[in-house]
Amino acid sequence: MRYVKISKENTYKFLEHLKATGALYAPQKISDRFYDFCAISDVHDVEFEYDRTIRPPRRFFHLPDEKMFNFDMTRHELTPVKTQAEHIILFGVHSCDIVGLRIMDAEFLDEQKDSYYETRRKKGIIIGLSCLPDEYCFCNVRRIEFVDAGFDLFFHELPDGFLVRVGTVTGHKLVDPHPELFEEVSADDTKNMELFEEKRSSMFSIYGNWDNLRYFLELRMDHPMYDRESEICLGCGNCTLTCPTCRCYDVKDLPAINQVNGERVRFWDSCQFRSHGLVAGDHNFRATKKDRFFNRYHCKNAYCPETTTSYCVGCGRCTYFCPAEINFKRNLMEIAGYRGAV
Amino acid sequence: MMTIIEECTGDCRPRVGVYALTSCYGCQLKLATVQKIIDISNMVSFESFYMLSSASKMAADVDVAFVEGSVSTERDLEELMEIRKHSRILVALGACSVNGGVQSWAEGEMDHDALHKCVYGDSKLTMQGLQATPISKHVDVDYYLPGCPPEEDEIMYFISAFLIGTFPEPKDYPVCAECRLAGNPCILIERGEPCLGPVIVAGCKARCIGFDVPCVGCRGPVPHETAWFDSLAQTFLRKGMTEKQIRQRMKIFGSHDPNIERMLHSILGGETE
Amino acid sequence: MLITKDNIYDTHKCRLLRKYELTEHESLFLFRFEDPEVAQNWRYLPGQFVELSMLGYGEVPISICSSARRMGFFELCIRNAGRVTDRIHKLQPGDIVGIRGPYGNGFPVDQFHGRDLLCVAAGLGMAPLRSVFLYAIDNRWLFGNITIINTARYGKELLFQKELEAMKDIATAENIAIIQSTTRDPDWPGLKGRATEHMDKANVDPKNCAVAMCGPPAMYRGMFNYLVDAGYDPRYIFVTLERRMKCGVGKCGHCNIGTATSWKYACKDGPVFDYYAIISIPGLI
Ligand SMILES: Cc1cc2nc3c(=O)[nH]c(=O)nc-3n(C[C@H](O)[C@H](O)[C@H](O)COP(=O)(O)OP(=O)(O)OC[C@H]3O[C@@H](n4cnc5c(N)ncnc54)[C@H](O)[C@@H]3O)c2cc1C
Ligand code: SF4
Ligand code: SF4
Ligand code: SF4
Ligand code: SF4
Ligand code: SF4
Ligand code: FES
Repeated sequence: MRYVKISKENTYKFLEHLKATGALYAPQKISDRFYDFCAISDVHDVEFEYDRTIRPPRRFFHLPDEKMFNFDMTRHELTPVKTQAEHIILFGVHSCDIVGLRIMDAEFLDEQKDSYYETRRKKGIIIGLSCLPDEYCFCNVRRIEFVDAGFDLFFHELPDGFLVRVGTVTGHKLVDPHPELFEEVSADDTKNMELFEEKRSSMFSIYGNWDNLRYFLELRMDHPMYDRESEICLGCGNCTLTCPTCRCYDVKDLPAINQVNGERVRFWDSCQFRSHGLVAGDHNFRATKKDRFFNRYHCKNAYCPETTTSYCVGCGRCTYFCPAEINFKRNLMEIAGYRGAV
Repeated sequence: MMTIIEECTGDCRPRVGVYALTSCYGCQLKLATVQKIIDISNMVSFESFYMLSSASKMAADVDVAFVEGSVSTERDLEELMEIRKHSRILVALGACSVNGGVQSWAEGEMDHDALHKCVYGDSKLTMQGLQATPISKHVDVDYYLPGCPPEEDEIMYFISAFLIGTFPEPKDYPVCAECRLAGNPCILIERGEPCLGPVIVAGCKARCIGFDVPCVGCRGPVPHETAWFDSLAQTFLRKGMTEKQIRQRMKIFGSHDPNIERMLHSILGGETE
Repeated sequence: MLITKDNIYDTHKCRLLRKYELTEHESLFLFRFEDPEVAQNWRYLPGQFVELSMLGYGEVPISICSSARRMGFFELCIRNAGRVTDRIHKLQPGDIVGIRGPYGNGFPVDQFHGRDLLCVAAGLGMAPLRSVFLYAIDNRWLFGNITIINTARYGKELLFQKELEAMKDIATAENIAIIQSTTRDPDWPGLKGRATEHMDKANVDPKNCAVAMCGPPAMYRGMFNYLVDAGYDPRYIFVTLERRMKCGVGKCGHCNIGTATSWKYACKDGPVFDYYAIISIPGLI
């Protein structure tokens, strides 16, 4: 892998260059406590120290709502809506979200490729950014706190800039034209990266490895936690809609008033909603709030072979953005009997 | 189960009626002013729509009737019965019709006679008043099109679905979903303000939260008994709201939900019906 | 074989050739692909399903219920159950619908070759099982003895009752046992009771038999107990599952089943599952 260094000041210049390459999105503060990936007009608005965005990066590739087809009912024709192909540059993506995108890839770019997702994803440029965990983070026990794939560039914070890992050819092509902005990595820089990593590791509230979690989840399916917590759950779906690896969507036909045309649209759905498991004859495979609550706990802790991780990447969003303050991490620890600060 | 317009070809256009009970007329104004109102009137024949035509009459024979307003007087009730008799499909249009609207707010706090006395004293009124209720308390309603006023895209979707001989699929998930998709910060989490988004049915694209105002619930509770007033009341209590504030807020548009009082009682105690 | 367009959600046009009423709520629809190239190359396995589009109304998963022998043609047996299926029931011969698929794993019929075959259907479960049964008849020399048990609550709900009855002519000569039974119909002149109650009439050898079943979970539970006790080889017991499906290709997430160690999509990993999958994944039946 190639490594280069960039000063903080040059980073802003680099961001300017990125802005000229495509649509640049980076973390920005949108309110007192929340951040989101926003279109960047002034590169000085980019927030380098943010915890987590309220909307996950998958939204750039799997749109929250999207017109899939226009149709003509008299000619029986579906016309796919062309996905616009502008470069989407995501700057400042944390490790958890990078693995999140790889999980999305595993689902949407398998042998049955979703062309809407594929077109956008191919045009996507992912630039990672190192982070320090807060009490909501548990990416370490998910084995994804340090990523080695899924980014074009990865920025590691140093006292005087960033050590940049160049992950792909696209990454090289972003760096190479700007020799004036980058320098070679020195032994001191490497030492500083080591210190950063050391500090970072020491900040997690829990340690260990949760690979055996899914077995405890199955061995304790009747754990009282599900009753207790689903009771206070609002069924609002925030946990899944903010999750970087949830991908459920619903499809609907919207006929036009002329009785001829119409649109087939899709939009994000959530297993926390009643109709997610509903079939004809009013039979519901997830009939109660508890069934739906349970469903998420199992879905998120299932194993994704492509990333060799769980579907949950430990980003903490489902707790941070739960209006009922239901603590996913704590509830999982309770089931598996893990120790550690919550 | 389903009531849909039978296929009609050639000159035959579905007949539609738009009626108002006790209301502000905002819902029919919305319907009358949708961008494609001309297209709609080319596709359907408005047999009765007072706002658009003086040739309208009460309870014409129609395929679809849109009824706005709550039943708040004896006359409302009579008219509603007539409308039902003359309509194949009846759609409750807007918050008052679907959930009783703000005029039914006082329900549970004060009974109708006491309320009447407090507003009108002993003066005589020509119209006999009733406790404001959603129309579904009195007649079978085929479809609900909520909103205060209803959303243009939903009005268009309902009419388009009827026109091709099928029935609309109403939303059954909460405002929070649209709020998240819209990229708003959550004001319930952040500021502890009493946002009703988690129990209110989506469709407005979380309009109020977009303007930094917590949802007051104008679209009414999520249907199919999935509005968890009890859980939300617990959340509100944790955020420091008082029992009275919680009850009042949830009842502005939701007082007629069959579960609300039982659920609130389980958390807040006090008042039951 | 799956023939997809560039966009996997795009459909192929199919023309309805014939509509045949089976029961009050279910009809059989015969379709043909409009595009000759698709018609010639489209292949499917018994137990696979298609996504059928009625533009403006929506898209629904429907099992293919015909034998794969007639190229470019296929049959669907559809119950009028809601928005889309109601519209399908209003179709007239000559009308066009959109089809994509076939999807799902289907029954592993290759593994069935050389064995006896037991098909057990309840209600609408007869739709996918008809495809298995017709496949076995079309490839008669690949199978040993064959038994099909078709059950419904009432006689008027028995799908393909007449078709199966008519086959009884050749059945004995071909070592095929056809058993049709109702569970709640006092006026039904034929056999009564659940599938398990008629297993004595099956002409198959448990030790060397493949079992294909489609019906409600309660039937699976009853049959599993019976079959395992009777010495059927669990590796050759297969069932199909129903879930809500929107995409059919493992994307939309609605058909998810299972628990943390065995998270599956019924559309992609199923809808056919074997005995061991069912007993090791809680909540499947
Ligand atoms: C693998 C599979 C095979 C099937 N095979 C057949 C068959 O051979 N014959 C038949 O009559 N029916 C079959 N069904 C059931 C059939 O798909 C539903 O009856 C149909 O989707 C109902 O749609 P609707 O719009 O008419 O009803 P509505 O109740 O109005 O449904 C609305 C939407 O919900 C979804 N939905 C509702 N019920 C189901 C369901 N049971 N399964 C999946 N999605 C559902 C659909 O997306 C549908 O468009 C099968 C289902 C599955 C999953
Ligand atoms: S965000 Fe919290 S309250 Fe909302 S559905 Fe998820 S767990 Fe329940
Ligand atoms: S389940 Fe929660 S912690 Fe895990 S990835 Fe999703 S939002 Fe993050
Ligand atoms: S099933 Fe639920 S938890 Fe799993 S991806 Fe879908 S919304 Fe997320
Ligand atoms: S602001 Fe209100 S509607 Fe939006 S997510 Fe929070 S609770 Fe839900
Ligand atoms: S956010 Fe709430 S109050 Fe505002 S329009 Fe929507 S439902 Fe009505
Ligand atoms: S039907 Fe969409 S994932 Fe299975």
